[in-house]
Amino acid sequence: MADVSPTLPVDAFAPLDTAQSAEQLTRPSLSYWQDAWRRLQANKRAMASLGIVMALLLFTLAGPLVWQVDPTALDPDQISIAPGADRSAMVVDEYQPWVPPAPSRATSPGSLNLAFAESPTTQSVRLVWQTPIDTNVFGYRIYRNIFPVGAERNFGLPLTETGNPFFEDRLDLKPSAYYYTVIGLNEFGEETDLFATISTTLVRAITVPEARLKGLLGTLESAATGTELELKSHPLGTDYLGRDMLSRLMYGARVSLFIGFFAPLLYVLVGVIYGSIAGFLGGSVDQLMMRFADFVVALPFLLFMILFKVVFGIGPGESGIMPMLIAMVVLLWPGTARLVRGQILQIREEAYVSASRLLGAPTGYLIFRHMVPNTLGVILVTVTFAVPSAIFTEAFLSFIGMGVAPPTPSWGAMCNEGIKTMLTHPHEIIFPAALISITVLAFNLLGDGLRDALDARMRNQD
Amino acid sequence: MHETITETHSTAPSNKAVFSQLRRYFLYAFIAVGVLMFVLDYLASSVGSDTQEARAVDFETQSIAIAIAEEPPQLNSSLATDAVSGMVLGHIMEGLLRMGVDDQLEAGIAERWEVTPETATFWLRKDARWSDGEPITAKDFLFAWQTALDPDNASEYAFLLYAIKNAEAINQGNLPLTDLGVRIPDPHTLVVELERPVPFFDKMVVFPTFLPIRQDFYEATGGRFGADAKDLLYSGPFVMASWVHGSSLLLQKNPYYWDKDRIRLNEINVAYITSDVNARINFFKDERIAFTGLQAENLIDAMRQKWPIKRYQDGTVFFLEFNHREDRLSENLNFRRALQSVLDMEELVYKVTKLPGYRPGESLFPTFLMGVEKSFRQEYPATKIPVDYAQARAYLAQAKEELGLAEWPEFVLLCGDNPISNIQSEWVQGALKKHLGLTLKIDKQIFKQRLAKMTAGDFDLVLAGWGPDYNDPLTFGDLFASWNLNNRGRYASPEMDRLIAVAQNASTPQSRMEAFAGIQQLIIDDAVILPMYERGLTYVLHPKLKGVKRRVIGADTDFTNAYVER
Repeated sequence: MADVSPTLPVDAFAPLDTAQSAEQLTRPSLSYWQDAWRRLQANKRAMASLGIVMALLLFTLAGPLVWQVDPTALDPDQISIAPGADRSAMVVDEYQPWVPPAPSRATSPGSLNLAFAESPTTQSVRLVWQTPIDTNVFGYRIYRNIFPVGAERNFGLPLTETGNPFFEDRLDLKPSAYYYTVIGLNEFGEETDLFATISTTLVRAITVPEARLKGLLGTLESAATGTELELKSHPLGTDYLGRDMLSRLMYGARVSLFIGFFAPLLYVLVGVIYGSIAGFLGGSVDQLMMRFADFVVALPFLLFMILFKVVFGIGPGESGIMPMLIAMVVLLWPGTARLVRGQILQIREEAYVSASRLLGAPTGYLIFRHMVPNTLGVILVTVTFAVPSAIFTEAFLSFIGMGVAPPTPSWGAMCNEGIKTMLTHPHEIIFPAALISITVLAFNLLGDGLRDALDARMRNQD
Repeated sequence: MHETITETHSTAPSNKAVFSQLRRYFLYAFIAVGVLMFVLDYLASSVGSDTQEARAVDFETQSIAIAIAEEPPQLNSSLATDAVSGMVLGHIMEGLLRMGVDDQLEAGIAERWEVTPETATFWLRKDARWSDGEPITAKDFLFAWQTALDPDNASEYAFLLYAIKNAEAINQGNLPLTDLGVRIPDPHTLVVELERPVPFFDKMVVFPTFLPIRQDFYEATGGRFGADAKDLLYSGPFVMASWVHGSSLLLQKNPYYWDKDRIRLNEINVAYITSDVNARINFFKDERIAFTGLQAENLIDAMRQKWPIKRYQDGTVFFLEFNHREDRLSENLNFRRALQSVLDMEELVYKVTKLPGYRPGESLFPTFLMGVEKSFRQEYPATKIPVDYAQARAYLAQAKEELGLAEWPEFVLLCGDNPISNIQSEWVQGALKKHLGLTLKIDKQIFKQRLAKMTAGDFDLVLAGWGPDYNDPLTFGDLFASWNLNNRGRYASPEMDRLIAVAQNASTPQSRMEAFAGIQQLIIDDAVILPMYERGLTYVLHPKLKGVKRRVIGADTDFTNAYVER
């Protein structure tokens, strides 16, 4: 056994350099919010929804600056125009009442010699025919169809009955194909076998004063008859009064999003204050406050909405948005209040709160340092879920006519208008309905993602 | 311990086991839903009404099914005012006279009649019977008229009876009911003493207010007269076999009707009561109903389906009525003229309303009214006010000056709450904003509420309509008399009252029609109202259903002469 003494370097006894830390942190420390944001980013659905919400805000706030069209301006020449429809129009002379030619008689039996008096346009279609020599004809009925008449004599829409051998049609003429039929009537007004059909494809017409009024002539003083013009562009088409859909959707979104953001913000705020007071105080005060909340839950929303409208003296034809907002704030807070109260009750009993209290923390410190930050996640999730429900409530109330007053657009009101023409002009309902659906879905998915991201128990589980 | 371990195993089974279990659940769920559907279907068919089996037309039984827009609000003929009640009453009741297929007066319960300047005499037929077999006598008419005039009953249409001597005083409670100027020399003769000469009194008795009511039956119902099928006694071609409130009505041929050989239908099943036009069109598509009206949105579909589309003008004139009360800005003539020259009714009719049969409004008098020889409007064409925006703005500026206003306040446009009114009111709103910079608030109200607000004068402008009560220009002509309660804008002008008095008392048709022409011109010059359009209705009929009559005056739609073709 050799006498071995340990050999230690001299500097082994020198104090360690303080700069050298024993544990090197490999990742930057993450706060609760940073971690939540990181997990939200990993959630593709939530991120896509966030993108949609951002785009929606841009559409609503910046859209009207880019697309400067009055959402209430009528365009009677382009009523219920589908998106991307042909907009070319031909300049024609101003409309003059028609002086029909003197009637002439047909030369052979069973013939009417139906013809157009002038080249037909969407301004007017003028038909003339000859008085038949058949003696059983005492009058005429004029039909119009947009489908070919065919062998089954599908004449279409009866326009009028007349005793004269001429007729002018100005009813809702669109640039498309028309089939006109004139049928002879006997002395009892019944249809005879004598009829003639004529077809045409109309060109859209516009007069010079109309074009000037709409600013389509640009710098031109006038335009020659027969010139082709482009009518005002409506990228998403127009509604039943020729109002621009895109601009109506943008302005309509303002109402929807206003209610969608402000109502939840306000009633969640009320709910948070109410719930935290009840939860923090506890005991009989808590019992009393929560029973009052139960009472408010039982109140019918629609009835109160109508009552508020009456009480605030909101007359007919005025916007019902403010009473809607107030009704929502007054009636919808108990949900949040219950949630927050539950959280506070729980947190109040946590060990760190007791510790903090033992260390002499004042009530204000307890609330703002411990209680509120720990309920923020729950509150945020509540707000995100409340937004789509508020948007939907607004759409529903406007749909039943309790919301905005015409001509102010709102998505719900636009749906209500569009549903009447669902089969013939589907774009009038598809756009607002799609926007409501997408918005509500986006907020719900975002809320879902937020709930996952803010749930502390799911921390570090990715 | 052992148990715990096996349990752990069972909670983590293999994927295969999960799938087989899922499949089993799906199967159970599928079977359960299927069984539930059958059970519900069986229950629905056993407790549901027979409306499910409604068939549009049936040749063998000569029965048809139709739908109406709303439950008849009032089948007590002395109180009824609306078109739906009028339509039902037109099938279950018959009065002294009726309108024939050719729109001429026909003998009804009265087989002969005579109108002189002092009296109108009706000789009732002896074989006319109530649906319980009792004869219909002159007393039943007298009782009905007294009931309508009784101030306690507050019948809104009592004024139609004012042509009868003392009727107005009775209705205002100044005379007892027994003082009504009606004599009954024998049970089958009715002599009506007239307050003033009314040459068209025979045309007036077609109106539901003049229908007979039998006193003993009326009193036996204890105030429920007309409230249910059993609380009605029928004098017309059909009786009401059942009335499921809010859902359906069943009309069957009346075996006691004096003219029952004329009636070919055995049954009219009012199978659906719905105001939803699209629902009615779907019923028509499914051959559940034989008749339905169309709106502009449905026309393309109807053409595509190759339905036989029909149309007719119902004689109702719609107009924008101003409030002429003194505290209103619309009382200013130049303001009214500005609106008159800015609203292009042709644009409204041809581009916004888009229904065939609608005619741009030019006059208060619709085109069907007869003048001396030809139609009134052919004899006296209305002056047309051209659309002129510059002129309109000049009028408006003048009005602003006269009224001493710095800015125009908002105006209230009162209108009905239905799709057509909504579109039209928004069109008016848009046009006034665009061309005159005026702001309008739209006040949508249901019919009753709109009438109440019109009566109270709670509007600046109102979209109103007026349909004829009887076939004479006077039914429109006296509308803006200062004494007429239906003059809701309270227009009052001595010239108007003078012209109406001339029209009421004129001796020759020529001078009467000239008075009406004067009224027509005054309404345009003074911009009392702005005629918007004359309504036309577009509808489809089942191709096998024949003889259906649409009417301007009287019960519309009339199925009493209808039949089903093989």
